Amino acid sequence: CRISSDGKPAKFQPPPKPVIIDKQKQREERRFLSPEFIPPRGRTDPLKFYIERKDMIQRRKVFNIPEFYVGHVLAVTTADPYANEKTNRFVGICIQRGGKGLGATFVLRNVIEDQGVEICYELYNPRIQAIEVLKLEKRLDDNLMYLRDALPEYSTFDVNMKPVSHLDHEEVPVNKLQVRMKPKPWSKRWERPKYNIKGIKFELPENKMKEAQKWSQPWLEFDMLREYDTSKIEDKIWHEVSEELKK
Amino acid sequence: MMPIWTKSGKKHAVTLLKVQDCHVLRYISKEESGGKTSKLLVGGKNASPFYKSESAMEIFKEAGVPRKQKVSTFNVTDDAIIKPGSTPLYAAHFRPGQFVDVTAKTIGKGFQGVMKRWGFKGQPASHGQTKTHRRPGAISTNKAAKVYRGKKMPGKMGNIYRTSFGLKVWRINTIHNIIYVNGSVPGHTNCLVKVKDSKLPTYKDCNKNPPFPTFFADGDEKLPEDLYDEEVFQFTDPSVTYA
Repeated sequence: CRISSDGKPAKFQPPPKPVIIDKQKQREERRFLSPEFIPPRGRTDPLKFYIERKDMIQRRKVFNIPEFYVGHVLAVTTADPYANEKTNRFVGICIQRGGKGLGATFVLRNVIEDQGVEICYELYNPRIQAIEVLKLEKRLDDNLMYLRDALPEYSTFDVNMKPVSHLDHEEVPVNKLQVRMKPKPWSKRWERPKYNIKGIKFELPENKMKEAQKWSQPWLEFDMLREYDTSKIEDKIWHEVSEELKK
Repeated sequence: MMPIWTKSGKKHAVTLLKVQDCHVLRYISKEESGGKTSKLLVGGKNASPFYKSESAMEIFKEAGVPRKQKVSTFNVTDDAIIKPGSTPLYAAHFRPGQFVDVTAKTIGKGFQGVMKRWGFKGQPASHGQTKTHRRPGAISTNKAAKVYRGKKMPGKMGNIYRTSFGLKVWRINTIHNIIYVNGSVPGHTNCLVKVKDSKLPTYKDCNKNPPFPTFFADGDEKLPEDLYDEEVFQFTDPSVTYA
């Protein structure tokens, strides 16, 4: 021990407390509002949406519905009266999220023993026991229905896959994968501009791509009657929902 | 319309009906009306008093109630009479598990042809048909030498009163006065609708201990916010399992 200038033993000086800068809290809280909360444009009474939202929030308090987008790999366990243990587990990539309010659905796709299987689950169905997100990954499109006409390797996911870890504060990564397709004919003409797909590697000849552009409707983005600005509605609903869920 | 799930996991579609400012307007006795039972005039949603003549407003002035958009009659037995004017009617008048008939004006489709209005098959699209694809074809026989009254022909379709019978009530919201009724109901969204106890013979003895003559809000009963039928899955419960 050090000898102080006085000759007496020095009084114990505790080391200075470390200053913890929590980078997680410094970053802005990522806002996510599930798309089924946003009411569609129409002539329905807003009271109906308010009551539906109360029911949806009540279900979310009891059962955790994680944040997920199209392109995530999910595992869903439902109650099945005809299975051995009364549960049924299905793993798949989410290709579409549809519906508004309590009837919101999402479609999971997987290829099991060379057979493509798609199951449409309802988010608020009481038979669903658990939804686990196995892999977080956004894709370039909102709707991955073209995976039906893509090579089966892009839709196969291991049924016993381990969940890939993801930190809470990081942004959801976007996978810029360009998918290769089976030879034509496809179920829908995905090269046409109305589907606006960015995630396919089109190996079609130039003249076919040019011919597909004939069906483009460039006036659609300027159509004012089609505009539905949801930012303010989303803000209000997000505040309402997050307050209720904190209670 | 909304989905509703039962405790066994089945899904049913449900229509939401809101009871908005309903008041009893007048009591018509059996002798006065000339029918078998006495009648009660009930008015629905509040509306502006400036768009109707003085004679039409007399009923509302007598009852002391603002002008109502829709007025309908209910045949009532003598022990179920309610004093007109002061008593408002609430959604808690109906209870979950009851069966109900709903009457409303259907969506007006305007002047429609015979294929949409009556479901005729029309004629083929090709193989030589000259200007005949959606026409009624023959309208009568040779021997009849006339067209019968009520022959199905093109005309104005919709905008008439129709009833859906035997709809089950799944749930009632007492705060916002909303009745959740099974299945679909005639009429467009936000249209005015008349809800009655069902007249079907299978549901005659269904309603046990209804609020009689009606549910009075200032009475002693304090109802919870939501009344559910026994089979309805409430979202406060954990997920359904088949043990």
